Amino acid sequence: MSGHALARTASSIRVEAVTKSFERGVPALDAVTLDVEAGEFFTLLGPSGCGKTTLLRVLAGLEEPDTGRVEIGGRSMAGVPPHRRSVNTVFQSYALFPHRNVRQNIGFGLEMQGVPGAEIAERSQAIAGLTGIGTLLERDVAQLSGGQRQRVALARALVNEPDVLLLDEPLSALDAGLRAHLQLELKRLQRRLGMTFVFVTHDQEEAMVMSDRIAVLNAGRIAQVDTPQGVYEAPADLFVARFMGHENFVPIRQRDATGVDTAIGRLDGDFAAGSHLLLRPEAIRLDSDARQVPNRFMARVSERLYRGGTTEYRLDCGDIQLMASCANRGQPGHEVGETVEVGVSDRGTATLSD
Amino acid sequence: MSAGRLENGLRAFWIVLLVFLYAPLAVVVFFSFNSINSSARFAGFSLQWYEQLFRNEAIVAALTNTVVLAMVSTIIAVIIGGLLGYGFYRYRLGRLSWLVWLIYLPVIMPDIVFGIAEMTFFVAINERLGILSPGLGTMVIAHVTFQVPFVALLVNARLLSLDPQLFEACHDLYAGPWQRARFFLLPVLRPAILSSFLLALTLSIDDFVISFFTAGPQSTTLPIYIWSAIKKGVTPEVNAIATLMIGSVFLVAFFSLLVQHGPSGGRPSKGGRRA
Repeated sequence: MSGHALARTASSIRVEAVTKSFERGVPALDAVTLDVEAGEFFTLLGPSGCGKTTLLRVLAGLEEPDTGRVEIGGRSMAGVPPHRRSVNTVFQSYALFPHRNVRQNIGFGLEMQGVPGAEIAERSQAIAGLTGIGTLLERDVAQLSGGQRQRVALARALVNEPDVLLLDEPLSALDAGLRAHLQLELKRLQRRLGMTFVFVTHDQEEAMVMSDRIAVLNAGRIAQVDTPQGVYEAPADLFVARFMGHENFVPIRQRDATGVDTAIGRLDGDFAAGSHLLLRPEAIRLDSDARQVPNRFMARVSERLYRGGTTEYRLDCGDIQLMASCANRGQPGHEVGETVEVGVSDRGTATLSD
Repeated sequence: MSAGRLENGLRAFWIVLLVFLYAPLAVVVFFSFNSINSSARFAGFSLQWYEQLFRNEAIVAALTNTVVLAMVSTIIAVIIGGLLGYGFYRYRLGRLSWLVWLIYLPVIMPDIVFGIAEMTFFVAINERLGILSPGLGTMVIAHVTFQVPFVALLVNARLLSLDPQLFEACHDLYAGPWQRARFFLLPVLRPAILSSFLLALTLSIDDFVISFFTAGPQSTTLPIYIWSAIKKGVTPEVNAIATLMIGSVFLVAFFSLLVQHGPSGGRPSKGGRRA
């Protein structure tokens, strides 16, 4: 890295009771309140239509909230248009200017701010090196691959050294391999720059891999804000649990001091109040492993999916179907139709309400 | 077998079509170089009709009128039509977006109806207010009126073909309203503006019907001149004017092709859905 070093700017974000409705229908954002710390990799996660993109657009200034406040770096953003905010966006479609080559695309923001040409050239070169497109500067954007476009869009935003960088599903158009690679690269870049990133995605694995904290949105409301581990292991409700990829939900019939009565039998342990018990797939143990935990019952294997490192079993336990994920350690697995002993440890569980 | 026959049939049809399209034009061009006053027998090559043409003051005046009318009306139409095309794009989701359909009306309206309507309108205004007496002024207004829809539709179509996020990217990257117009809109619209300019230009040069109804005694254009000259029979002089017009239209069409197939790009960049 020679020449201009990227300044370490980072700003906190405060969103207070922001509501936004479009014509007709339910509000896209319903009294959303959240705080993003300076230098944090913060992810807005949710299914399509949950309001995560709308929230991002409110931060960018592309949408004005109906009510509520937005502060960036302690400054109110009320009435501040997008071009006066030190916030830049990596758009989902990348939105690279077709009439400009890569260098001119990257320099656009600096040019609009009246930065001298020599400095634009220097900073563009530096950021292109950092994002791995140093050799593509004179290319036409139409000649670029999907991954290259993504990098140009990233460089075009980063070169302005914004207080906050917003990323709207920037990896969703890429194939799986490239995507995993860029997730890692993006995370590293964020750590290196110490910049505040707000990242939007509908992919819970992507969110877990990249984020310091995740806000899960459901129908315009914040369902939970926590670390990836917190959101995955202690989901706030059934919606969050389902969205994080959990499948094993057992209705709780009754709860007392020593355990709970459930649809699959009594489980001893210290459980919190709630309507459902969540069993993480890795918390369900079979046969010899099952004997190490107190809560055991019998189930029938209805499906078996070999996944290399692990094998997934679908288990019928009365009306309830459970999914177990077992590490493959060289021993023969269980056949479909076989009856197995299942053990559940209370450490792999959480209680949920609707 | 039958596929081959179909192909031969289509090829024959294509040739017949080309003959009927271009043979009459070729005949006109051919006889414009005739050394005698005949459109039936070719006696030898000569440029005398072209010389005569440029010595004829009425023709030179008509040519000047045609050029002035075409240039003035086209420049005005491109400015108004361009703004209109952008306006229709910008407010395409608004409550008045149906207004865009009104712009199609002049495109499908028969020229003769349009021409008579314009004439009646101008006469009515002229009688009451004493302005807009028939002449180049009224012709410019009439030409602008039928050129504007084509410009607006071309500009609008180009804007609709762009990724809407481009406009937001511009805004996000510190460009104020005027900077967005100068550094984004004008450059990406350049091909559409140029081709609509050339289209409007040819429409104006070609137009006879509307010009005829809105012209004054001093504002005869080439098509009107040809029409009145032809009443005395098709002279090689008329052939020569027609040849010049054919040549200029081909030239404009060629430029327009260059513009459309030149380096422009601008298809929306690939992307997925929006959450």
